[in-house]
Amino acid sequence: MTPQELKNSILQLAIQGKLVPQNPSEGTGEELYKEIQTKKTGLIKTGIIKKTKPLLEITDDEIPFDIPESWKWIRLLDLCSLISDGTHKTPTYVENGIPFLSVKDISHGKLDFSNTKFITPEEHYQLTQRCKPEINDVLICRIGTLGKALRIDIDKEFSIFVSLGLIKLIEKEISNYIALVINSGYGFSWIQRVKVGGGTHTFKINLDDLRLMPIPLPPMEEQKRILSKIEKLLPLVDRYEEAYNKLEELNKIFPMDLQKSILQMVVQGKLVPQDPSEGTGEELYKDIQAKKQELIKTGKTKKEKPLPKITDDDTPFDIPESWKWYRIGEVFNIINGFTPLKSNPEFWDNGDIPWFTINDVHNQGRFISHTEKAISKKALSKNSERIVPSDSVLLCCTASIGEYAYTRIPLTTNQQFNALVVKPEFSNAVYPLYVFEFVKTLKDTLIKNAGKTTFNFLSVGKLALLLLPLPPFEEQKRIVSKLEVILPLCEKLGFYNNSY
Amino acid sequence: MSNLSSFVKRIRDIMRNDAGINGDAQRIEQIAWMLFLKVYDAKEQDWDIKEDNYVSIIPEECRWMNWAHDDHSGEALTGDRLLDFVNNTLFPTLKEINVTPETPIKKSIVKTTFEDANQYMKDGVLLRQVINIIDELDLSDYEESHAFGEIYETILRELQSAGSSGEFYTPRAVTDFMAKMINPQIGEQVADFACGTGGFLTSWLKELDAKKQTAEDQEKYNNSIYGIEKKQFPYMLCITNMLLHDIDVPKVYHDNSLIYDVLDYTEDDQFDVILMNPPYGGSEKADVKNHFPDDLASSETADLFMSVIMYRLKENGRAAVILPDGFLFGTDNAKVNIKKKLLSEFNLHTIIRMPSSVFAPYTSITTNILFFDNTGKTEKTWFYRLDMPEEYKHFSKTKPMKLEHFNPVIEWWNDRKEICVDGFDKAKCFTYDELTQELGYNLDQCGYPHEEEEILDPLDLIQRYEEQRASLNAEIDRVLAEISKLLGGVEV
Repeated sequence: MTPQELKNSILQLAIQGKLVPQNPSEGTGEELYKEIQTKKTGLIKTGIIKKTKPLLEITDDEIPFDIPESWKWIRLLDLCSLISDGTHKTPTYVENGIPFLSVKDISHGKLDFSNTKFITPEEHYQLTQRCKPEINDVLICRIGTLGKALRIDIDKEFSIFVSLGLIKLIEKEISNYIALVINSGYGFSWIQRVKVGGGTHTFKINLDDLRLMPIPLPPMEEQKRILSKIEKLLPLVDRYEEAYNKLEELNKIFPMDLQKSILQMVVQGKLVPQDPSEGTGEELYKDIQAKKQELIKTGKTKKEKPLPKITDDDTPFDIPESWKWYRIGEVFNIINGFTPLKSNPEFWDNGDIPWFTINDVHNQGRFISHTEKAISKKALSKNSERIVPSDSVLLCCTASIGEYAYTRIPLTTNQQFNALVVKPEFSNAVYPLYVFEFVKTLKDTLIKNAGKTTFNFLSVGKLALLLLPLPPFEEQKRIVSKLEVILPLCEKLGFYNNSY
Repeated sequence: MSNLSSFVKRIRDIMRNDAGINGDAQRIEQIAWMLFLKVYDAKEQDWDIKEDNYVSIIPEECRWMNWAHDDHSGEALTGDRLLDFVNNTLFPTLKEINVTPETPIKKSIVKTTFEDANQYMKDGVLLRQVINIIDELDLSDYEESHAFGEIYETILRELQSAGSSGEFYTPRAVTDFMAKMINPQIGEQVADFACGTGGFLTSWLKELDAKKQTAEDQEKYNNSIYGIEKKQFPYMLCITNMLLHDIDVPKVYHDNSLIYDVLDYTEDDQFDVILMNPPYGGSEKADVKNHFPDDLASSETADLFMSVIMYRLKENGRAAVILPDGFLFGTDNAKVNIKKKLLSEFNLHTIIRMPSSVFAPYTSITTNILFFDNTGKTEKTWFYRLDMPEEYKHFSKTKPMKLEHFNPVIEWWNDRKEICVDGFDKAKCFTYDELTQELGYNLDQCGYPHEEEEILDPLDLIQRYEEQRASLNAEIDRVLAEISKLLGGVEV
């Protein structure tokens, strides 16, 4: 139940006569109407107000709901001396003068004089000959924003624009009740039915329609009791709204936080138990070093400058003893993508080498088995080392920093992406799907480490320094299996929490 | 003096090669029963000297000095013979020792300690190696015994990163701080109804130790502690811990504090001081909740412990309790009622807020220390937020919290001033009316400005989400109830 639904429901109850019990000693709506008629006739006779159009009786199919016996359906104009709108001509605005109000100054539920335009007292006097807003009159938005009626509760000179309607009630004491009716669910549906416009034209309420609006009228005292009860209820609805909104917010962020938290558990080695039979980080490291030396000897790998050693201060959290911290640059060859000259058809026509951009993630999801675009062999000729083998993780290092994907095919990428290609000496030590899960935790780190250019951009050098906690190979597989069960459940949670 | 500094490392290296030990928690469990038997053996030798006709409750062949001690005659059990003895003779015998209500505590603890003990090792040769290292300890030597007490503490501290076993261990910096501020006096008794490995009890004893002067004081010192622990593993660790601190008759019981009717407690069940870190995140069922009055019957374990504490604190007694943020901000019905009772019947004078990595890596949940006494209702409560020390981004296994990190609080304690940092309250005093009427029992004040939101563990995150959701739902229920009343009420 949204706060608006609750509010509507309470207001509806009110104008159906079910919020407070009827009290026969208070008279009837009919009697109130007769008094108003008498008053109106008197005012017309003494020339204070003009005569208004006689209106047709309210027919049965115009009546939307039942009201108590003691109430009466009355058309709005029959309760008023005048229903008009503000000036149709844009006036001359000045720096200081008499406030000139339009929709924006009442649409938040209160009369707001803090941001109005101003007109000269002379022009204001002219305008008031036709339309003079006074205390206890009701204003209503009738162009663009519709409804949002309120009673003028201060005694101040101001004029209004055509977008506001002016409802001058004969009996000023019923103003608050009338505003309530217009703002109720009934008022809202009524407005939806009579409004004109749409398409390229703004919606508006015609004054002729407004004059005919059927109002369910209770006796005066009962109106007062209704309003008093609403006054007690509205603060409660506000409290409900506050709690409701907080709950919505909580439910929105919780599934995302939970996923973050689970991934953090993963990289700290807490998701699955360690199994000493799977080996330790140190043993693995020795193997890897040995392999590396082999590859260097046989010329398959170049000797590289070692990256800075990892100290205790560098590591953001503790990992199990059987794991080991590595710098990304130690474990992966980082391949930065490129974009061949778009204006050269030789690079693109009949291209058969997949070329990956972030759009492929939007179309396919995170596991890439084909790409929208492709480049030609010619485009690749000077960039042959930029081809990314399958089962590599792709990481976006600029624009949408932190976006990631996993490729099941060999491909090339644009320059927004860096590919993490497992170095040969690590081929038995790194399970690529584990890396895929790991990079999900990198977004904040990447953003923090990116430079401050217009498009944040993380250099390959900086990426190489970032830390990767590496478990034994079998443990990596166990982690991935477990996540494949848990993460879909989190997604389900997000769906349930946000689906109403 | 044996080589204490490498004691832990040598044992760890040996155990790593045994297929039966899976992870830190099991390794500590394995050491625990061996250490207990060794420590108990040292005590028994002592009692043998001091008492006439001391008789051990342990059958001769199962006494450490007989089966474990290697006198280098070549007869010591090892390999499969040792495994066979331990699994098929030692364990069954100790688990089935005959104990009656008349059995003195210092003898009955052998059985209660061994009841659920576990022998994990599969290699008898490795087992012999571990036993030998333990046997090297000369606990009759005061220096060594004292030094070993410190080593024992480091073994216990490893529980913090040993998965869920971390729940039994409260960092000593925290227990030392709380014991210090509670200011133990000779003649007083302290209770911990979820004592885990006995951290609060040892911190209390350390503080009290400095105040002993006479032999009478020593007696009172020996009788000053009382503990209850529900789980076998930490219970064993706690008993051993107490024996190492020369409490020969530890009044520590293997029991569940929550299954006794709180309304049945009398003055005899009450204590001068209570120091505790109750477990949180537990969900208690009806059979436990039945022991509490309806309005206080929460499903949350820590809430129930708060009620136990309030019923077992002597008049004019003092308490210090660690509770999570959920207790402070929670406004579901049970929590509001518990806080109502706390503020109206007890004097909650101080709340210290602690940074989130105090219990790392076991949990990153934020916790708080509530100090209160049984001298009357709360007039005002001081909040103080302890910030991370300058050089630390967070506490960790290699950089744990130290007692000196509490110095800012200790300096502020006797000269309390309101402090505001960067627009956020760090220390502030709230009156009873402010806490109850304006804040509606939401004690989450002087909290941490969230610059970098610490990511909680999933279970802690879920817990906090459920608490927040429950609080919001409770608020929504309250508002809707008031609205319903107004809608259904008869107009006058």
